[in-house]
Amino acid sequence: MGWLPWSSDSKNTASDGGRIAPDRSSRQKCWEGRDLFFSCLDDNNILDAIKEDKEARRKCGKEIAEFESACSKAWVKYFKEKRVMEYNRDKTIERIKKEDAAKVQDLKAQGWNPR
Amino acid sequence: MASTMRPLVQMVGRASRSTVPSLERSTLRSIPSQNAFLPLRTKPAQPAYTQTLRHNGLSSQRSFSTTTLRARARTMGQLKARNSTGPFSWKSALLFVITGAGMIVYFRVEKERLARKRIAEMSKGVGRPKVGGPFVLKDLDGKQFTDEDLKGKYSFVYFGFTHCPDICPDELDKMAEIIDKVKEATKGENIFLPVFVTCDPARDTPEVLRSYLQEFHGDIIGLTGTYEQVKNMCKQYRVYFSTPQNVNPGEDYLVDHSIYFYLMDPEGDFVECIGRQDTPDSATKVIMEHINDWKREELISTWSHIPISLSSQLTIYSTQPV
Repeated sequence: MGWLPWSSDSKNTASDGGRIAPDRSSRQKCWEGRDLFFSCLDDNNILDAIKEDKEARRKCGKEIAEFESACSKAWVKYFKEKRVMEYNRDKTIERIKKEDAAKVQDLKAQGWNPR
Repeated sequence: MASTMRPLVQMVGRASRSTVPSLERSTLRSIPSQNAFLPLRTKPAQPAYTQTLRHNGLSSQRSFSTTTLRARARTMGQLKARNSTGPFSWKSALLFVITGAGMIVYFRVEKERLARKRIAEMSKGVGRPKVGGPFVLKDLDGKQFTDEDLKGKYSFVYFGFTHCPDICPDELDKMAEIIDKVKEATKGENIFLPVFVTCDPARDTPEVLRSYLQEFHGDIIGLTGTYEQVKNMCKQYRVYFSTPQNVNPGEDYLVDHSIYFYLMDPEGDFVECIGRQDTPDSATKVIMEHINDWKREELISTWSHIPISLSSQLTIYSTQPV
């Protein structure tokens, strides 16, 4: 099996020994597959498609099959991890903002004036 | 204002008429008395001196008057018309405002330019982390490409790899937009050199790079090399990368790497980082500021050479026998 599941090794090897990367259209195809799969995960309240692999495959079987066929293995893993990372990042930012707002409120109550 | 000033002006006009002859008389009278203080041996010269002064009485009187008031305005009517508004007119007010606004704009621009220059100079300074330096790679035709090839132009260096999932393609699309915008702003002048250095030389051979970069912009110069060469380049540019050195053929992997564009000046020194937060417009603005500053300085240094060459020519002419 080649590094991309849908193609053979020879197709992805350049004549000078390099390995041809996905072009614009196949990147686009991969990203579309990813977005569909992730929106299915959102609908089913699944965050981590690696930890909850079985659940994800059961609920979003069609989407994950398409996603994995459109992207290379490394990319699939990368996007799944990135989804978790971004979720945690956004949650942290939100938490900090909330804490900050609470602190400002608290300080204002004590008579502090911003500026 | 003009009407209230009129009596004053008339007074001044009258006064100047009456004082000028008296001034003439008094200066002539004062000169011999001043000469009385001179040492004795200059005495014989004294009459001749006074005589010439008396002879040139008219011109010496002129030299005390700084205005050409009497010479230009022939009649009182002309004088009045001239002085009815005093030294202030809408023309002078306009000139004042324009000059003032011009100075403010100029100082602002100059202040910003100096601030940028200071930052650019700072990154050249001793003891600071130096980004950039000597490297040897090869271009897509297999020709050697070194840091010397970057000099003389503003280069825009990006590190990446063709199997990059999402960030590099985004950034390269941005790069393509920046290239077009800078090209437009510099009117196609050959001053901007976009460069893509692969962090993944095992997979990114010239052929792979060529077809990959072609999708983004034809102007991007792709660079690759041996693993060691690329590692050295990344080290020079303080780029972190995690390319596995020994991978089995066919094995799939990703490369973690820094995702900044490095703007380098024509001397090969680092000037600015362009990151994910920059839009094509903001990046182009930053780049054009640096390019314009540089061009301006080039222009100034070119012009400042001209007087030198002129004066040297003049000395050559003067030493030649006429």
